[in-house]
Amino acid sequence: MSEFATVYAAELMRRIRSRPFMIGLLIGIAGVVVIFKLPVWMSSATSSKNVVIAGPSDLTTRAAALLRSDFTIAGTVPLPADPASLFKGHSADSAIVLTRHNGGLNVTIYAKDPTDISASRVRRDLVPLELQLMTGLSPQHITSALNMPVTVRSIASKFSSADQAEAAQAVASTLLVFLYSLTILNSQLVMTSVVEEKTTRIAELLVASVNPLALLTGKILAGATLAVLQMIVWIGTGIAVGSTASPAGDASPFDLSGLIGGNVVSFPVIAAFAAFFIIGFLQLSTLFAALASMINRTEDMGSISGPVLVPIIAAFFIAMTGLSAPNAPWVVVTSFLPFFAPFVMFARIAVSDVPTWQVVLSLAINVAALCAIAALGGRIYRVGMLLYGRSPKLSQFLNAIRG
Amino acid sequence: MPSLIVDRVSKAFGTVSAVREVSFTIPDRATFGLLGPNGAGKTTTMRMILGILVPDGGTISWNGKPVGSAMRHIFGYLPEERGLYGRMRVRDQIRYFGQLHGLGQRDIAARTDRWIERLELQEYAARPCAELSKGNQQKVQVACAAVHEPELLVLDEPFSGLDPVNADMLFSILNELRAAGTTLVLSSHQMWQLEQLCDSFCIIAGGENRAAGTLTELRAAWPTRVVRVAPSSAPVRHSLNATPGARLIADDGASVDYEFPRTTAFSDVLRTLVSVDAITRFDALDPSLQDIYMHAIGNGKVKG
Repeated sequence: MSEFATVYAAELMRRIRSRPFMIGLLIGIAGVVVIFKLPVWMSSATSSKNVVIAGPSDLTTRAAALLRSDFTIAGTVPLPADPASLFKGHSADSAIVLTRHNGGLNVTIYAKDPTDISASRVRRDLVPLELQLMTGLSPQHITSALNMPVTVRSIASKFSSADQAEAAQAVASTLLVFLYSLTILNSQLVMTSVVEEKTTRIAELLVASVNPLALLTGKILAGATLAVLQMIVWIGTGIAVGSTASPAGDASPFDLSGLIGGNVVSFPVIAAFAAFFIIGFLQLSTLFAALASMINRTEDMGSISGPVLVPIIAAFFIAMTGLSAPNAPWVVVTSFLPFFAPFVMFARIAVSDVPTWQVVLSLAINVAALCAIAALGGRIYRVGMLLYGRSPKLSQFLNAIRG
Repeated sequence: MPSLIVDRVSKAFGTVSAVREVSFTIPDRATFGLLGPNGAGKTTTMRMILGILVPDGGTISWNGKPVGSAMRHIFGYLPEERGLYGRMRVRDQIRYFGQLHGLGQRDIAARTDRWIERLELQEYAARPCAELSKGNQQKVQVACAAVHEPELLVLDEPFSGLDPVNADMLFSILNELRAAGTTLVLSSHQMWQLEQLCDSFCIIAGGENRAAGTLTELRAAWPTRVVRVAPSSAPVRHSLNATPGARLIADDGASVDYEFPRTTAFSDVLRTLVSVDAITRFDALDPSLQDIYMHAIGNGKVKG
């Protein structure tokens, strides 16, 4: 086995068995499940409110049909003399009392806990009945009028409808969160690994046994492999959870399975995501590994990684903004810059038609930047691994860079 | 034929000159002691021999070929800064370094078992290294450095931190490696151990060569000679004091130690002494490696 393969395999196994990796993976899976399931859970929680409808039977029958989409109807009763008697014999949290008023409808809600029921939802559900009473139109006419089709068709966008564009934004923002989390998490694991070798003082024995560049490359590519693995697990979890229908039978708002391969998550978008993810991860982890080789204490990790994280955090926020304004000047400019491009250019590709030359130019700039970072990082790492004792001075950094 | 030739190598870090034109040769299968005070440039010289650092000037060759990173598989190194992967088990750690040095799976297993047995680490083989005592960790590091049976093994302060039992074990292991034909380069502040182990030495201080050669050569180059004479009688002391350049350095009542210039004719001195008293002892005292070292680095009196 070559030096690189030995280091890569050992690093991969060591990292897979490590607690931070397993914890990160499991927390990520739990996070994806929560993000994808929360709207469904919240929706089910709201629609499970039990209500009693009181009033004249012609009103309660029609109202029950309209309210059923958001509430569980515990029963319909005639108008009582005393509001407290509304709940007798029914397991309900609220009672909706309907009376006629000026040719329309008057609605009063009696609730055990007023925060448990949404008045606006009741109003929205009962609008067709109110209109019917006031105008005399048939329920079908009213329903048709309220659901008048409005279609937005783009003549310049890659998406054929506003729904598609919104879906693409939602998917891209989810993927950006994955991209950001995995890049930061795994780059810091690479950094931790280098610092561990410095703090345990095994570094010198290692660089005497193996080419430092093979050591650095093996370490970073093992990190990249794990990052891709985590990404696949998280996205797979997202697809599996998102495609599960709600208990009420409604489709999940996060159903990705039907979007992949189509216009929303096209294969070029998937390819761009993979390419920029790999490039971004390699840029950051190489820089982190080189910086880590210059420190001798775990406590110094935060202070040395902080300045590097600032542009990454900025890139993430610009990319999220870029989902709504992909052609804004600052978004376009940052989509070419190293450390920014992996997030921003991906965001632009996901929600707009980025000219091919811009994608190619951004890739070229970032691959060139990666080569420069690798050459520079390799020099710093080779020298840094032999530095013990006091924290290095700026002159030592410069000497390391000069070789 | 010399195996390792270090020829006028220099290395600077920024404005600090760590090594200046240091030279020495190490014959094939020899054991070599590299001596010097802290900060003398020993570790930098060792790192240059191993190809970890590239000299700014001069050359280093092994069997006629310039040393470089390609020779990692035939060189072994025990650095002064000791370290292991704390969570990795002892056996896995030795195997990993065997793999890094290019050993095949079958060789690795056999050699790992052999080193674990030789270092009496059987009961710790399956335990994480962090759970071992410092001495046992150091033994694992020795195994990691030598598991691939290197042609040249460089050991920087191998005895530091070891208790007498483990130091004795390491001493035996180094002798076994030496007998097996491994060329050894050692640095240590334990002069008596080096004196017993090494065939030749180089003393450096302030990054420069101060002395080099076998112990016999170093002693021959010593500027004075010390002679112990008994009895310590008045006629003997009087006669010795009259010898040009002689200086009394010790008198325990039974015998006296006198220092003479190297060029003194000792047969004449002895003839004179015999004529003044009944001489029962006239021994030339060789300078120890410690004496030579202290003199070479400029901290010692010339006494023998």
